Amino acid sequence: MYQTAAWYLSIILMALITVIFITVVLKTNKRREYEPIQKKWYRFRTIYFLVLLVVFGTLTYFTLQDLPFERPVYGQEENPVIVDVEAVQFGWNMSQMEFKVGEPIEFDITSSDVNHGFGIYDKDMNLLAQTQAMPDYTNTVYYTFSEPGTYQILCMEYCGLAHHLMVGEIVVTN
Amino acid sequence: MSTNMVMGATNNSRNKTIAIYLLTGSLIIFSMMVFGVLMLLAQGKMIDVDPAFFYEIMTVHGTGMIGAAALAAAAVMWFFLSKYVKLSKAILITNFITFIIGVLMVLVGIFVFDFAGAWTFLYPLPAISAGGWEMAGATLYLGGMLILGVGFLLLNLDVARAIIKQYGSLGEGLGWSIVFGKVKGYGPPAAVVASTMVSIVNTTALIAGATALVMNLINLYIPTIKIDPLLAKNLTYAFGHIFANSIIYMGVIAVYEILAAYTNRPWKANRPFLIAWNCSTLFTITIYTHHLLMDFALPKWMIIIGQVLSYANGLPVLVITAYGALMIVYRSGIKWDIASSFMFLSMFGWVIGVVPAIIDATIVVNHVMHNTKWVPGHFHMYMGLGATAMLFGFMYYLAKVNKKEKETAIDGISFWVYIMFFIGLCGSFLFSGKVGAPRRWAEHFPEWIPYDRMGAIFGIFIVLAVLIFIIRFWNFCRSIDYKFKEKIGSDRHVA
Repeated sequence: MYQTAAWYLSIILMALITVIFITVVLKTNKRREYEPIQKKWYRFRTIYFLVLLVVFGTLTYFTLQDLPFERPVYGQEENPVIVDVEAVQFGWNMSQMEFKVGEPIEFDITSSDVNHGFGIYDKDMNLLAQTQAMPDYTNTVYYTFSEPGTYQILCMEYCGLAHHLMVGEIVVTN
Repeated sequence: MSTNMVMGATNNSRNKTIAIYLLTGSLIIFSMMVFGVLMLLAQGKMIDVDPAFFYEIMTVHGTGMIGAAALAAAAVMWFFLSKYVKLSKAILITNFITFIIGVLMVLVGIFVFDFAGAWTFLYPLPAISAGGWEMAGATLYLGGMLILGVGFLLLNLDVARAIIKQYGSLGEGLGWSIVFGKVKGYGPPAAVVASTMVSIVNTTALIAGATALVMNLINLYIPTIKIDPLLAKNLTYAFGHIFANSIIYMGVIAVYEILAAYTNRPWKANRPFLIAWNCSTLFTITIYTHHLLMDFALPKWMIIIGQVLSYANGLPVLVITAYGALMIVYRSGIKWDIASSFMFLSMFGWVIGVVPAIIDATIVVNHVMHNTKWVPGHFHMYMGLGATAMLFGFMYYLAKVNKKEKETAIDGISFWVYIMFFIGLCGSFLFSGKVGAPRRWAEHFPEWIPYDRMGAIFGIFIVLAVLIFIIRFWNFCRSIDYKFKEKIGSDRHVA
């Protein structure tokens, strides 16, 4: 789950940064000549820069392999259920609201008034997928439910005074 | 020399203007923090707030915080840049007047005419509010923002003009002759390099913002004249992202100047430094598309570049600016007072803020975290522990170099309260984002309420700490003799 990975990765990296900053603060007394310090740490900086480049490059490569706006590769003769979604202040008009587990779905989302956000939440309120709902444009999000249950559609883009009431429901059965 | 052109320490009334900028900015920041706490208390169901009022507070919080921080950061830039180039004090005062007029219009639009379209004023929400507010409210808000933006645009154009006059071109302000290897040595002072970058990016941002504002205003009165919503969204985020980011790039000038003075070590613009600032200029303008990663209707390359350049934008601060700050204080014998501590804290806040920001700029992560409270989590880190730390530190610095205000235990306690509780606040936001709480929701589901309550408590302590900072600066402003600038050069704080 990306949320959990993001949380723990952030905690680990932020803790590492904190340790580095505290270590440096503890080593600010006893003044020394700056030039040798610069010489040593500029050399290290080159290595540090290259390491960051490699890490960022690798992360970029792997994370761009799984883009949510790309149509997944479905099996032969497997066509997704196409659902037309229209956002309107402050609700969702959907062409279909009941689905089967394992059934690939293509949500084609637009808006009849202002910008909204189409966010699919499971029963534990985990955000599973989202895209923006915009007037004049159609954004497509692909999803296949793996668990039966009732899922909620929350508006993820501020759209007016009843934004927080813009909640829809879809049902997924076996 | 024109009478209102200022360079070096020749104009003491200039310092008074800088102090007024900082006092105004910090008072608005304080008020906006109070509004922030109110929102958390409301989301945590600790107080009862009407959702319509919640969204008004939300609108003023976002708008006011960025506007006020930009005002105070502009004072930092102006203060240090005027050591090296001749800036127009008339423009500095004009910007303050337009700022006050703009703020008043925005406040009336929000609190009298109920405008609650958020700082993003995403087209066509100002005109289509489902009965939420009247045209007068939207007009005052959009018009106020426009006037405010014009003032900042003038200020940035004056900065660009002064740099061009002194250094020949904006390219030279960014040290191109060194970057491209035509000349060896060092570029202009760090303050000039940063100011050049800021003038370029902010001019771009303000023109984009003004375009979006004018288009919205036209649509408000002539609904048949429509705007492409995706274009409007691009303009809004180009404006908002760049303008908000410029705050830290203005504030960091204080870090360069103050840490160099305190450590008695030079912070020179060598070639890697200049390359980093040139990259920051380019990246800051172009990476706003990471706000549009969930707008799948955008060309795919724009979405992908939003991620790639966001990663790249972390490099200048990680490799040059923050690294330089660590190097300059290392074994320097620096005296840690509140000003120098805030400067160092700001580097820490900036760097740790980069972590959740970069993670969220990853498309697959953004897919499940965009517009959750993860987003305010990372930018509160960047703004609260980074940008505003620079501003509060600069306020203490002015008081210190004036030698009229002595630090007391309450300053130290407030400083630590500010850090610890701000980390807690950001942590509560990030965790709320992890568990799926959307941002900009007036009422939260029970699952999210505990974190809102924690955030509210952290926020109350932050507000108290900031109140102390402002009271101390207020005392300084009352006792100021406006001649402190002359004392900076000879004042060394090396232990």
